[in-house]
Amino acid sequence: MTSAELRVVQRRGTLALSGREVRRVVTLWTQTILPPAATGLLFLAVFGGALGGRIRVIERIDYLDFILPGLLVMTVAGQSFVNNSTSLFQAKNEGYIDDVLTSPLRPWQLAVAYMTGGLVRGLLAAAVVALVAASFTDGIRNVALAAIALLLTGLLFSALGVITGVWAESFDQHAFVANLVITPLALVGGVFYSARTLSEPWSTLTRVDPLYYLVDVTRAGTAGFEESSVWLSLAVAALAALAAFSVAAALLARGWRLKP
Amino acid sequence: MERLDRSSVALLVEELDKVYADGTKALQGLELRVPAGSFFGLLGPNGAGKTTLIGAAAGLVRVPEGRIFVFGHDAVADPSARLLLGLSPQEVRLDRFLTARELLTYHGRYFGMAKLEAARRADELLEVFDLTAKAATKPHRLSGGMRRRLSIARALVHHPRLVVLDEPTAGVDLELRHELWRYLRRLHAREGVTVLLTTHYIEEAETLCERVAFIRDGHIVAEGSPQEIVSRFGGERLEDAYLKAIRR
Repeated sequence: MTSAELRVVQRRGTLALSGREVRRVVTLWTQTILPPAATGLLFLAVFGGALGGRIRVIERIDYLDFILPGLLVMTVAGQSFVNNSTSLFQAKNEGYIDDVLTSPLRPWQLAVAYMTGGLVRGLLAAAVVALVAASFTDGIRNVALAAIALLLTGLLFSALGVITGVWAESFDQHAFVANLVITPLALVGGVFYSARTLSEPWSTLTRVDPLYYLVDVTRAGTAGFEESSVWLSLAVAALAALAAFSVAAALLARGWRLKP
Repeated sequence: MERLDRSSVALLVEELDKVYADGTKALQGLELRVPAGSFFGLLGPNGAGKTTLIGAAAGLVRVPEGRIFVFGHDAVADPSARLLLGLSPQEVRLDRFLTARELLTYHGRYFGMAKLEAARRADELLEVFDLTAKAATKPHRLSGGMRRRLSIARALVHHPRLVVLDEPTAGVDLELRHELWRYLRRLHAREGVTVLLTTHYIEEAETLCERVAFIRDGHIVAEGSPQEIVSRFGGERLEDAYLKAIRR
């Protein structure tokens, strides 16, 4: 077999595994799409509807428009992460991951394929939230920028999901990362507030959170407001996503916790 | 020294060592040649290293020491080697999100088959293994015997030249065992596929295998045709020779 033929084989394999992951998301839509979409909408209802009456404007933006990008980032981040950590954890725990580990796919291709499922789940759930919110908000100013920001969010957190899926040896470990790392990161990432209105050290601490940059650049896309440079935010997000992807591919290459 | 054409050997194992994290020495300088086109049996007691060896060849076990070649392709470094090997593991573990047909189709596609080609091959194997009626059933709804047949079918989807079956008839009723034997013989004779079979049933190896190897404590203690081994170790049957070789 020539190297060109092998590449075709590997490309087909990667597409097949990506398809399997997407199919899992779509088949289990009542578990994968519906709950996060409902949660996002509840956040909008509570913070935008109930509290929005008291906090009408923040940074000269309607409060609902201010929090929507953060909610979209939270949805994409949380769902991309949990999808991949769960899917890989299940495959590893039940042993059927051997089917793909014996395949000719390269480790980075395995990472890409698993990440596809998470990305699709995160973006689909966020799309539902955005669609429903569209009738209450001012619309999206720069669709391309918002889409890039959400895509980077999905890439970063689906890669983190792969890492966690490989690492976790029990459901507790998997839940630990989701509940005690990802959720707090999302909540202190400037979703509901502006970092520059905070006193020190909270303002600086918020800026250490990579999600802050993702929220900020998404807000630049949806509401046309940003606290940090858009390019800085995109660079931080892209670097973080690349680093997470590299770690995920390296772990799969080494077979850490996958192969004895 | 004899120069070996690695591509003429289905599975070539050179000085393979494997020590697990808990210190268990699973393989110790293991050397093995499975000739291309042969029906080869690997026999040994529990913990002898059979599954570790198979896992190493299939890319499921990390091997820091030694080398493994599948038809001349380095099993660790060259992804082409994976295309040449089909594995039916000892424990049947099937993707629970897929039906029997989808499971075979996806497997074929993971190994580079086009969608239509993989679907056709899946249908063909479902028929061969008498699973057509269960094509739309998910693995957890299948009986143990059906799951075992599906696992073997999965190993064959991508037309591997070396089929590795790790205790395929363990826990299988007599009727199914004989049915599997018939299929494996046919596969070997008609398609020229090399079969590497591990088993605890000596009569299975005696019936099916042209060559056998006994493995103990991570290395091969005897290898040859059943007749050669019997004449070397004495006794009337392979079982006698096995007991003598393993107890030495």
